[in-house]
Amino acid sequence: MRTHRPEPHTLAGAYALDALTRADQARFERHLARCQQCAAEISGLREATARLALAAAAEPPAGVTQRALAAAARTRQLPPLTPGTPPPSPHRRLAAAAFAGLAAGAPGGSPFRRRWLTRVAFVIAAAMVILAAALGVATHSAQRQLQQDHVHSAGIAAVLTARDATMISARVSTGGTVSVVMSGREHALVFAAAGLRALPSTSCYELWLMGPGGDRPAAMLPVPRHGMTGPVLASGLKPGERLGLTIEPAGGSPHPTTRTVLQIAL
Amino acid sequence: MRLDDGWLSPRAGPGTRESRGAELPVLLERVARGDRDAFEDVCRHIAAPVFGTVRAVVRDPQQSEEVAQEVLVEVWQCACRFDPGRGSAMAWVATIAHRRAVDRVRSEQRSAQRELRAAAHTIAYDDVAETAEANLDRERVRRCLQSLTELQREAITLAYYGGYTYRQVAALLGVAAGTVSTRMRDSLIRLRDCLGVER
Repeated sequence: MRTHRPEPHTLAGAYALDALTRADQARFERHLARCQQCAAEISGLREATARLALAAAAEPPAGVTQRALAAAARTRQLPPLTPGTPPPSPHRRLAAAAFAGLAAGAPGGSPFRRRWLTRVAFVIAAAMVILAAALGVATHSAQRQLQQDHVHSAGIAAVLTARDATMISARVSTGGTVSVVMSGREHALVFAAAGLRALPSTSCYELWLMGPGGDRPAAMLPVPRHGMTGPVLASGLKPGERLGLTIEPAGGSPHPTTRTVLQIAL
Repeated sequence: MRLDDGWLSPRAGPGTRESRGAELPVLLERVARGDRDAFEDVCRHIAAPVFGTVRAVVRDPQQSEEVAQEVLVEVWQCACRFDPGRGSAMAWVATIAHRRAVDRVRSEQRSAQRELRAAAHTIAYDDVAETAEANLDRERVRRCLQSLTELQREAITLAYYGGYTYRQVAALLGVAAGTVSTRMRDSLIRLRDCLGVER
C-alpha cells in the first residue's frame, strides 16, 4: 500500500509537477525505470497537471505561431525510435566501466585542473581505457566504418599521448562527472563522462567550443551505455576557448539554446 | 475520460472549422509524417495552453514568447515520439511546455544566483486565472483546487505555476521538504480524481 512504498515514490507528485532538483530527478528516474506502478501513476498525474496547463491557457501574440511554423519548415524532424539497437560490445562495455571508475573517483566541487606530471598515472589509465574503447568500437563496427573509426582512434591516441596532455575533471551542474584530456599541441581534446543525467528522447547533450569568436558545436554526445558517455574527440581548439556542455533539442542545435551545464577553461 | 476526448470542443473557435473533430493524437500522427498543415492545426489547438503555461512560469513576456515558440517547434520535431499508449496528447504537450519553462527560469536562477523573493508568494492560482482566458477547464480546476487544503493547494500552484522545486516550495512555506513532496503527491491525486481524468 501507499504508506509502505519505498521513499522515492513519495516524489511522484513533485516529479509530475517538474518540481524536483536535478539530483532528486535523477534518483526518481532510476526508481521509475524499475517501477511500473510508478510509471502508471505518473501518467495519471500528468493528465492532472495538463489540466493546470489548460486552465492557464492564453492566446499568444500572433507572431509566436507564425515563427514556429516558419521554424518547423526548416527543422528536420526526429526519426521514430526503432527496436533492436545492438547491445554494446564487450570491449566497449569493459572500457566504459573502467572509465566510470576513473571519472567517479575524481574529486568534485568546482572545476579543477592538474598538470600532467602530478596526474601521470591518471592520464595513462585514461589513455588506455579510452584507446581500448576506441579500438573496441573499430574492431566491432561494420567494414565501411572501419576507416573512419581508425581516424577517430588515431585522433584520440594523439591527444592522449601528447607531451602536453592535461587531465581536467569537473562536475556537471545537472549531475555527472566529466574527464577531459586536452592537448594544446594537437589542438584537440578527448571528452568522456559518467553518470550524466538521463535525458528524455526529445533532448541531447551537445559539446561546444566557446570563444571570443563565438560558440562552435564540437560534438553531440552519444547515448550513454551503462551510464558512461564517450569517448568523444573534439578537434580544432583555438587559444582562449572554453569547453561547454548544454542540453539541446534532440538532433542538436547550431548554437547553444540553453545555459551551459558545464564550462571548463582550457 | 482523457483530455483528448473532450477538451477540444469548448476551445473550438474561429479558424478551427476544418480540424474540428480531428483529435490531437490524429493530428500529431500526421505531423510525425511531416504534414505541415496538420502542424498548423496542432498549433492552433495547443498555442494557448502552451503560451499560458509558459507565461505563468516565465513571467517575462518576451522570454515567454521565445520559450512558447521553442515548445511548438519541439512538438513538430518530436511528434513521432508521442505514444498514445502512455498518456493523452495534451499531457504530452503540456509536459514539454512546462519542462521548457521551468528549465528557463531555473537556469536564470543559477546564473544570476537569484534568491527566492518574498514576492514569490504572489504567484498563486488566482494570478494565473486572472490573465488566462475564461474556459471550462479553468472553472473546473478552480473548483477542484478549492477542495484541497491550503497547504496542498499552495504546494501545487507554487510548483506548477511558480516553477519552484519542492525544496524551494518548502522554504517558501516554512514546511519540511518531505512534507511538501508528500502533499504534492496527495493533492495531485485528489486533483486528478476531482477532475475525472483517467489514469
